[in-house]
Amino acid sequence: MSTGAPDTIVAVATPPGRGGVGIVRVSGARATDVCTALLGDVPPARRAVLRAFRDAQGRAIDRGLALYFPAPNSYTGEDVLELHGHGGPVVMDLLVQRVLECGARLARPGEFSERAYLNDRLDLAQAEAVADLIDATSAAAARAALRSLDGEFSSRVNALADRLVELRTYVEAAIDFPDEEIDFLADGAIRARVADALAGCEAIAASAEQGRLLREGYVIVIAGRPNAGKSSLLNALAGHDAAIVTDVPGTTRDVLRERIAIDGLPLTVLDTAGLREVADVVEAEGIRRARREIERADRVLYVVDASDADAVAAAAREAEALPGGVPVTLVYSKCDLPGAEGAATDATDATDAAAEAVRVSTRTAHGLDDLRAHLKAAAGFVPGEGGEFSARRRHLDALARARGHLGAALERLETSAGAELAAEELRLAHAALGEITGEVTSDDLLGRIFASFCIGK
Amino acid sequence: MRHPERYDVIVVGGGHAGTEAALAAARAGARTLLLTQSVETLGAMSCNPAIGGIGKSHLVREIDALGGSMAIAADRAAIQLRVLNASKGPAVRATRAQADRQLYRRAIRAILENQPGLAIFQQEVADLVVEGGRVVGAVTATGIEFRASAVVLTVGTFLGGRIHVGLENYSGGRMGDPASNRLAARLRELKLRVGRLKTGTPPRIDGRTLDWSVMTPQPSDEPLPVLSYLGRPSDHPRQVPCHVTHTNERTHELIRAGCDRSPMYTGIIEGTGPRYCPSIEDKVVRFADRVSHQVFVEPEGLDTHEIYPNGISTSLPFDVQLEFVRSIRGFERAHVTRPGYAIEYDFFDPRDLEYTLETRALRGLYFAGQINGTTGYEEAAAQGLVAGLNAARAALGLAPWWPKRSEAYVGVLLDDLITRGAPEPYRMFTSRAEYRLSLREDNADARLTPIGRELGLVDDERWRLFEAKRAAVDAELARLAGLLVRPDDVAAEDAACVLGGPLARETRALELLRRPDVAYDALVALPAVGAPAWEGVPVAEGAPFVDHADFLAAAPAARTAFAAGALDDRVAAQARLQVEVGAKYAGYLARQEAEIAKLARHETTTLPDDLDYALVRGLSTEVRQRLVEVRPRTLGQASRIPGLTPAAISLLLVHLKRRGAA
Repeated sequence: MSTGAPDTIVAVATPPGRGGVGIVRVSGARATDVCTALLGDVPPARRAVLRAFRDAQGRAIDRGLALYFPAPNSYTGEDVLELHGHGGPVVMDLLVQRVLECGARLARPGEFSERAYLNDRLDLAQAEAVADLIDATSAAAARAALRSLDGEFSSRVNALADRLVELRTYVEAAIDFPDEEIDFLADGAIRARVADALAGCEAIAASAEQGRLLREGYVIVIAGRPNAGKSSLLNALAGHDAAIVTDVPGTTRDVLRERIAIDGLPLTVLDTAGLREVADVVEAEGIRRARREIERADRVLYVVDASDADAVAAAAREAEALPGGVPVTLVYSKCDLPGAEGAATDATDATDAAAEAVRVSTRTAHGLDDLRAHLKAAAGFVPGEGGEFSARRRHLDALARARGHLGAALERLETSAGAELAAEELRLAHAALGEITGEVTSDDLLGRIFASFCIGK
Repeated sequence: MRHPERYDVIVVGGGHAGTEAALAAARAGARTLLLTQSVETLGAMSCNPAIGGIGKSHLVREIDALGGSMAIAADRAAIQLRVLNASKGPAVRATRAQADRQLYRRAIRAILENQPGLAIFQQEVADLVVEGGRVVGAVTATGIEFRASAVVLTVGTFLGGRIHVGLENYSGGRMGDPASNRLAARLRELKLRVGRLKTGTPPRIDGRTLDWSVMTPQPSDEPLPVLSYLGRPSDHPRQVPCHVTHTNERTHELIRAGCDRSPMYTGIIEGTGPRYCPSIEDKVVRFADRVSHQVFVEPEGLDTHEIYPNGISTSLPFDVQLEFVRSIRGFERAHVTRPGYAIEYDFFDPRDLEYTLETRALRGLYFAGQINGTTGYEEAAAQGLVAGLNAARAALGLAPWWPKRSEAYVGVLLDDLITRGAPEPYRMFTSRAEYRLSLREDNADARLTPIGRELGLVDDERWRLFEAKRAAVDAELARLAGLLVRPDDVAAEDAACVLGGPLARETRALELLRRPDVAYDALVALPAVGAPAWEGVPVAEGAPFVDHADFLAAAPAARTAFAAGALDDRVAAQARLQVEVGAKYAGYLARQEAEIAKLARHETTTLPDDLDYALVRGLSTEVRQRLVEVRPRTLGQASRIPGLTPAAISLLLVHLKRRGAA
């Protein structure tokens, strides 16, 4: 390996989702190490071999095809390993985690293509395409990261980062200003604070691993008046009868949750109770829940019965009355019914500015492809270049590293001569968290020190 | 008139930057001229009489490792020496020397006057000679023109300097010395980005009027530390203590009452002052809940009574100064010998400089020291060395050289300045160095002396000592790495007190040294480990001593490399420290090295001067604007601009590739 060779990177190369085949791609000088660690040997070049993919204890995580492409004859021009496993998100995640343990890091959005370009594996004419891809996928990943940082997770990580800033302010002040009567390292308070931060970090990581974070993809809520065709739409998208569909308004009283994949884009679709004023306590509770889900969703599909002139006329106003900030797509359903054609067209023209609109018929499957394409575009989904799934893995990975460094910092604080080593561990922990919350520079830290303590002779 | 002598490098200014610039240029082989307002003030300390301290002593050691003069002069002038952070680990330990001003100045002047290839001339510089877009000389106030290939400006606070005491202010470069206003006007024409900074000093006091009995003495540390790798404790003059006293609520009341006549609080001073070195009025106003602040009472020298009360720099009117000084414990009958003052001065935005400290606007012109927005003698000296060296190398047609962030605090200083500028006066802190554990006082020589030798900066004596130390450290590390210590070889008592408990199994000596609580000196006192390699015990390079008996048997055969006592006393002490630190930090150092190697590619990928950021696809407007402001020289530097994301760096890489191929 030459000096300054780029890192070895890893990502799930196929669109995440359940079922089918998933590919984990590794590129860089350590690809062969990964082969040895997971497969037991380095497979012959460019030939698919059937292997067990093993964890550090030698247990099989999955069994599948492994393909090894030595440099320079690979997609990126570097040594590349592809592991074709059983595409479920949990298995893919375990495989990525295993490769990270072997010294790789998660690929940035577009990084495989970037390397391919820099290593002359892509045509010069593709430079612009690569630049656009980096730009678009970083933006998509940023949106995905925001989404995966749901309210509670985000505020807990930010609180932890704040605690680390404060800790480092104390530790660095004690190191850089020993004459200032502010030697916090001398007493045990700092150690208690580090222990606290470590416990906080562990708690966040534990809840993030099990929680909503890994489970859900782009979250869509189907909403609309009672009997507008919401459950039929869910069933049409899901391809089976997930919701009970009847002609009786108010059939769906609770929130139904369905995971589907559109060309690999993982979607969590929530079918909600129809929004209307009701006396029924159970149904009222369903409506309350529907509104709460809408607030947390990435997009609302507001279903309007195209055959109902009154509903069409009110659609735009009703869409605007939905809980704020969530993008809305108007879905005109039952477009196969008589009277639906004209009304829906007029409505589409009228509401174009406020919300996007798609016309469907679940009975004839008309417009469903349009709706799927619309959802993929809205999610900013680019297959294979790391989207939401890797955004989450990235956060978990950063949390795990922060946890490791905090633990080491605690050990270092056992001896006073280890102050600068503890400071180094805190710096590394902070840098890891900074990948989630944004970087804090040494200038920022010095600013905090000068604002907090009266420094200076 | 035009002076008949032609020089390669002219250094303007004889302060700490000018001194190192002139010496480095001359040592690098350039015919060098040092132009100073006054030969009497060469090496003058305008502010507090101390060298070193946290972060700063690291710079001093690095300058020393590169053959500079600051550490040697400080050792000859040090009248009180301490090791700060002694209770913390070696990376953040720092030496601080209280210096006798006269002795320091004398030492610097002697070094300058004895430097071959360096001429000194006393006269204020009023103008630069510019021909064909480059600087080719300088003109003095009386019209004498000197010609050279490069000019290094180290004019400190003298550019447009303005001194404030209370509401009164006047032009000046330092109390008692004139400002360089004509030169300032000339430089303003260059369209460099100019800013204004402020710094201050405390009133000086006659020590005979102080009551020392009520202050806490702060004596030198024992054994006496040294700053230079060539230094010995015997280089130091007689030691005298510093003292500590405190301000009190009465002091703070007097200061608050005087703030209506403060140039700071009445808006007369516009320059930005350093937050880490606030005036006493600033401390009292900003930290109103503090009822007391420390005052370090520092001697100015051995044959003067004047003292420097560190911690009460002020620009309040003199009557307020006198009153609040006398409210301090022990200062009740103080006679102020010189009033404190604030000074405002011009500086040039260092983002307009190259890493070599050459200005981008005018080739052949170099800036070093406070002119670049830094404070501190050490920061100035470090820049002087870099500017002088590179001015000389450019004049001689040689490639430039500067240390990277991963190699030296000097590198951190350069990179911070040209990447982030100086929004406030820039001072070094260890927290600025991300590779702090690698950049230590004890290994500055290992990091820089070999390259310094190549550059011509390191003389034979320093090189001989360095090679001896390097050989000693390598030999000892090899010895410890090969030496197996068995549980049976260590007496139970020794194991308990040296190793913190009995040995569980046979262990290499180096592994034992890596334990946080095992001290090197105690370890080599164990019979099973034996004396350091340089004390006459064998050095068989690369030979794995798997058995202690074999090891001892092999001893006579290899007993030549270091005959007992042959190692210089200075080297032996430094070698012990470096072996211990190297072992204790091993894991961390390996991690930092891996990180440095990983980033090396970006550090060596240069960004062309004429890069049009508007053409880089995908960059946000904000990122583009920051890039235009800094115009980074390398991709690595670009990545350190606040707000530059990894995606932006990828976009730059892709653009460079396309541009290179087009």
